Amino acid sequence: MFNIDMDSFDPEKIYDLIVLGGGPTAIGCAIYATRFALDVLIIGKTFGGLIATTHVVENYPAITSVSGQELVDKFREHMNSLNIPYISDEVTNIEKVNEYFELHTFFQKFKAYTVCIATGSERKKLGIPGEEKYAGRGVSYCATCDGPFYKDKEVCVIGGSDSAAKEALFLAQNAKKVYLIYRREEIRAEPINKKRVYDTKNIEIITNTNVIEIKGDTSVKSVIFDSGKEFPINGVFIEIGSTPNSDVIKNLGVNLNEKREIIINRKSETNIPGIYAAGDVTDAPFKQAITGVSEGVIAAYSAFDFIKEMYIEY
Amino acid sequence: MHDHPEKGVIYMSEDDKYREIIKREMAKLTRPVKLKVFTSQRTEADGSKIKACMDCGQFMALLRVYEENSNGMLTIEELSIDDNPEFAKKYDIQRVPTILFIDDNGIEYIRYLASPQGAEIQPFVQALFTFAGAPNYYEASIKQNLDRINPSILKVMITNSCPYCPQVASICNQFALASGGKIKSVIIDIMANPDIGQYYDAAGVPYTVINDQKTIAGMVGPNEIIRALIGGNIRVQY
Repeated sequence: MFNIDMDSFDPEKIYDLIVLGGGPTAIGCAIYATRFALDVLIIGKTFGGLIATTHVVENYPAITSVSGQELVDKFREHMNSLNIPYISDEVTNIEKVNEYFELHTFFQKFKAYTVCIATGSERKKLGIPGEEKYAGRGVSYCATCDGPFYKDKEVCVIGGSDSAAKEALFLAQNAKKVYLIYRREEIRAEPINKKRVYDTKNIEIITNTNVIEIKGDTSVKSVIFDSGKEFPINGVFIEIGSTPNSDVIKNLGVNLNEKREIIINRKSETNIPGIYAAGDVTDAPFKQAITGVSEGVIAAYSAFDFIKEMYIEY
Repeated sequence: MHDHPEKGVIYMSEDDKYREIIKREMAKLTRPVKLKVFTSQRTEADGSKIKACMDCGQFMALLRVYEENSNGMLTIEELSIDDNPEFAKKYDIQRVPTILFIDDNGIEYIRYLASPQGAEIQPFVQALFTFAGAPNYYEASIKQNLDRINPSILKVMITNSCPYCPQVASICNQFALASGGKIKSVIIDIMANPDIGQYYDAAGVPYTVINDQKTIAGMVGPNEIIRALIGGNIRVQY
């Protein structure tokens, strides 16, 4: 998706703020920055981010229940109403050059006085034999994308989080049977979703179990448990958390924690002046769309403050 | 729009919502563009034509929404494989309906074995605009690396409910248009064409097949696609 007028695109232009990412955090940041009259550009790999794959969102204030895709459509509508430019690309490196930052992609080079990293996170891989081999052929990280392929079939969701529970609930609408396989004693979904899982007849929870291998021929046929048992299955949905997409700032000296999350303060500032971060890529303890938006909005305000200071003549 | 039977409130159905999006987006098209769509039509005894493929009627009705809201800028030429067997053979039309983006020199850029509805409206509209001559963000880099790219076909397996599919479809379409046809993009709805999905063992989307050799499951960005086309050695010159 592109939302930029390439006819008037000037690669030498220095933006006030470039926001990296395509999810609610990035869009929230850009909306506020635009209303602060900053010259803003969003560069994102995946418009909508991870929330686009969520089949139902029920905890975003003022919207009782909406699919992730519909919520993303609303974000897009809001963004378009403010003519916020968006480019579908991936920034691979950021450098400090004089008073601005230079952002490199394979296709273009951009300049900005401030940058907000809202690149989110990506699904963790299990790292077990068969996982890569059967990706797209029975192994999936997105129930919304691939659930319809498993109508009347048996699938498993690996993980015990709230996201895993929601994936299982979505899959149960089509699949004959859904097994929720978790390594601990009790799944840790939000109470409302936990109850829904327990109340859904075609979901069965298998606890204290690790999957150590995925087997098949042209597609997935079974998984192997750490007990040694081979368990026949048609599809494996992996939902074991996510890892932050923080590689982009590797050459800037931005402080990361041990999980490679960007360390921010209450103003969404990193240790590098002019570089802000928000959402799932940061060390914020609770990662939700709404908290990401909040951090993104704060980043926009901090960038506004930074730019304002730049323009003051002493 | 539909009146709610009980409350007298006007509700917008999914179809209405997407029709509004098509109307809004197509109104921005300012340059002429032509598409060819292959269907199958049977000629009746009285000379009238009846669509012989199950999906063709609905498919063409959707495309007419694009056409009717384009201020005359979009022209859709419907061709029946029954009446145009040579043309169908030349462009290897093996199933209907098929949309082709072909220029005046007969060069094919994009092929749709998918209905441009729902989330797929966006990459389709974008392809139409670029095909009509709007600037293409990837063009400079693709042209810069074109001598390193072999004639290639990017097949993107999609479904209408997949949130990542429109983005992969868009990138492949834009690459195809930037390459002058050296790269071809084929967008395939594997729910409507399950045999193609089975042929490639695809049970997940997006599923991108590059030259029938390399497959990439899941969301894939422009960097990974250009790497796959070039072989990793990318020439970057701003």
